[in-house]
Amino acid sequence: MNSLSDAAIAVLLVEDDAPTLWRLQDALAKAGYQVRAAGTLTDARACLAQGAPRVLLTDLQLPDGHGVDLIRETRRRFPETEIMVISILGDEESVISAITVGATGYLLKDAFPTDIAATVRDLVAGHSPISASIARFIVRRTQSTAEPPPGPALNTAKLTPREIDILWGIAKGFSYAEIASHLSLSRQTVPGHIKNIYRKLEVHTRGEAVFEAVQQGLIRL
Amino acid sequence: MSAAGDAQPDAPHRERQRPLTSRLVRYLLLQALIAAACIFALQQSLPGPPAEYLVATLSLSERGVERPVTPPYFSPQRHAMDDPPRFTGQFDRPADEAKRAWSVFLPRFTNGVEIAVNDVVILDSRRDPTANRPDRNTPVIAVIPSSLLRDGANTVSIRLFIWGPITGFLERVWVGPDEKLRPSYNLRSLIFVTLPVVFSSWQAILAVILGIMWVMRRHEPAYGLLAAAMAVGVAQAFLQTPMGETAFSRLNVVLISSAPIESALVLTFALLFSGWKWRPYGWIIFVPGLLLALAGLFGNQALSRTLFLFLAVPMVGLSLVIMAVVTARSTLKRRNVASLLLGCAVTIMLTCWIVDLLSVFQLMQNRIFTARLSYSAMLVAIGAGLTWRFARALNEVDGFAGRLVTQVREAEEKLKASFIREEERARAAALARERTRLMRDLHDGLGGQLVSIVALSERGNAGAGIGDAARAALKDLRLVIDSMDDIGGDLMLALGSWRERAMAQLRPHDITLEWRAVTPQGLPVHPELRPWHVIQIVRLLDEALTNAVKHASARRITVRIETLVDHDGHDRGCITVEDDGRGFDVPPADGSAGAIKAARGLRNMRNRAARCGAELVLDSCDQGTRVRLTLPHRFPDSDAAAG
Repeated sequence: MNSLSDAAIAVLLVEDDAPTLWRLQDALAKAGYQVRAAGTLTDARACLAQGAPRVLLTDLQLPDGHGVDLIRETRRRFPETEIMVISILGDEESVISAITVGATGYLLKDAFPTDIAATVRDLVAGHSPISASIARFIVRRTQSTAEPPPGPALNTAKLTPREIDILWGIAKGFSYAEIASHLSLSRQTVPGHIKNIYRKLEVHTRGEAVFEAVQQGLIRL
Repeated sequence: MSAAGDAQPDAPHRERQRPLTSRLVRYLLLQALIAAACIFALQQSLPGPPAEYLVATLSLSERGVERPVTPPYFSPQRHAMDDPPRFTGQFDRPADEAKRAWSVFLPRFTNGVEIAVNDVVILDSRRDPTANRPDRNTPVIAVIPSSLLRDGANTVSIRLFIWGPITGFLERVWVGPDEKLRPSYNLRSLIFVTLPVVFSSWQAILAVILGIMWVMRRHEPAYGLLAAAMAVGVAQAFLQTPMGETAFSRLNVVLISSAPIESALVLTFALLFSGWKWRPYGWIIFVPGLLLALAGLFGNQALSRTLFLFLAVPMVGLSLVIMAVVTARSTLKRRNVASLLLGCAVTIMLTCWIVDLLSVFQLMQNRIFTARLSYSAMLVAIGAGLTWRFARALNEVDGFAGRLVTQVREAEEKLKASFIREEERARAAALARERTRLMRDLHDGLGGQLVSIVALSERGNAGAGIGDAARAALKDLRLVIDSMDDIGGDLMLALGSWRERAMAQLRPHDITLEWRAVTPQGLPVHPELRPWHVIQIVRLLDEALTNAVKHASARRITVRIETLVDHDGHDRGCITVEDDGRGFDVPPADGSAGAIKAARGLRNMRNRAARCGAELVLDSCDQGTRVRLTLPHRFPDSDAAAG
């Protein structure tokens, strides 16, 4: 459909459910992306060994491992690669754990082909999509509670008040333009803020992970 | 720099000093007024019997010299027991008075008298212990036995016994009908005999009260000292003046001459009461009293009496002066009622003491001692001060108890609130856990299978309907999971997700979704909002959207979110979904199936709105349809319309 004139963008697609893999591959290939598909973690690692993809789309539940490990490895080896999770429900349980290792947003498995292509195109263009439910999950975590809330661990300590305000806006369904006007920002700076939010939620090293777990009271020394 | 530094602490000091000075002036004025009132009262002479019964001129035989005198008479002698001055006077008893009893009335004398009429002794005041106390102004009256009296001239003779420490004194001699003399006697007896007994009883009670106070509050020795002072005062008041040397007479002497000890105790109390700290040199206060006590134990009575004049009287005066200064200072600094009362009492006593001293030195025409009597003012002040402190302490206790009750109630309420919060949190946590479990189950099972169905159906054209159904099922799954999330009563958070889903749904149909949050905060927050309310509202909105897409062929859908104020003044959220489609009243041209579906959808929407307590208004014409949902002020707890 939207064939790209410039050099084909390499997308590594990791999905164990064959029909889903086909449909995603189909949608992306039709949009002009150069898609490499993998059904297992091992296959995916083999593909990565051949070279860095521009975009990595991966499911989390893989037959021989977890997508989170793949995201972490990719993030470490190819910092330029944009990573997105393929999710069935778009729920925070899977998406947040992926974000903390370096993913940017998620793609629903039943999304329409045009939406699939558009999402990847935006990602490559440098936009960082964030859904209202994920934004909601993050801002609910910024509100102090006595005990750690259920769900995946997330450290929101580094977020600035402005970033939290932006997340509130997204969680309440406002567009970037509306958020920008509410917060007296330039509309163009909102995607940058969101990218920063993603980077700040990422846990970089094992040491940092331990430190943050201690900070949040998840681990007692 | 230094000038500024000096000026700074000076300013508030000066400010504090000004009212202090004015308070001092006011206090001194009050004390001067009290002293003046005392002097005025002391100047008033007590009413005497009719003047006709006064034996105005007496013949005095003193130390072998005989001469006429007109009382009041001050004898120069301090001791005259063996050869006392003898006064002789004449009086006429008319013959018609024979039926009436006649009396001899001596209003005041020191120290003792023996009255004889026609050379027959009818009264010896030395037998009356209270009359033997020179500090009391005991009057005597003696009824003359009728057999002694003759019609016409009679003789009355008085022997004045003097045993110190002060010189002898005889005020006046009255002889007349008993009924004429008695009222004057009674008045003096009431003031100078009965009243001191009453005050001494009061002093005894105070001694007991203060003693108990001290026993219960050992850290306040002031009360112990005052109790001791009272006890000494009581002992002093009720003991008799020893006339001879007996086994107990020495002890009696010690106790009767205990005025300096008493005044030292009261002085120490006043000092401690006004915040003075006990110092070792404080024992100096007790030295005169102890010296006098030793003199009483080891010396003779005459020595005691002499020392009393030189030790006790100045000691009492000195104590009074110090107390006057101390209480004044305490009143001005601490401004408490007890100190003020004490200060006034001290002024009264001091005035009386000075007047007494003047009469001892015969600078007054009379010899009525009022210092001891004025001590009752001190007793009243002490009693009043104690009661004042007690009442204030009770008030403080009441206030404290009241505060405590309020605090306990507040704490209880906080506890209750935190318990409710805790329950709420536990409920939310349980819901979140359940949601997580459900999510995992759906992920592993139903969700994945539905996705597969969507994918498979897209591979052949025949399965398009199946794919749509599967996609709708997935959408609904996401809605169920989403609405179970804890959104803290902020419906806007649920609408945010709904907007995303709605946009994804509308995109393939090329329909624009316009989102307008009219009020900045969107909708009011409802703490009572439950997941099932959220599901009803979101499904209702989905229904409105689906109708617009499927049956109205709309190109643009507008969602307005605002907070309105209803006629009760409550904030009510309002969500409006408006499309530019054909409307519902116009049945679609291609048959009635769509119309029936739309009708069912409308019924469903009304149902859902009713279950949430929301109001639903539908306006539809050929220009478009408007669904207006007004949320309740409070969402219902139970699903009323479920049954």
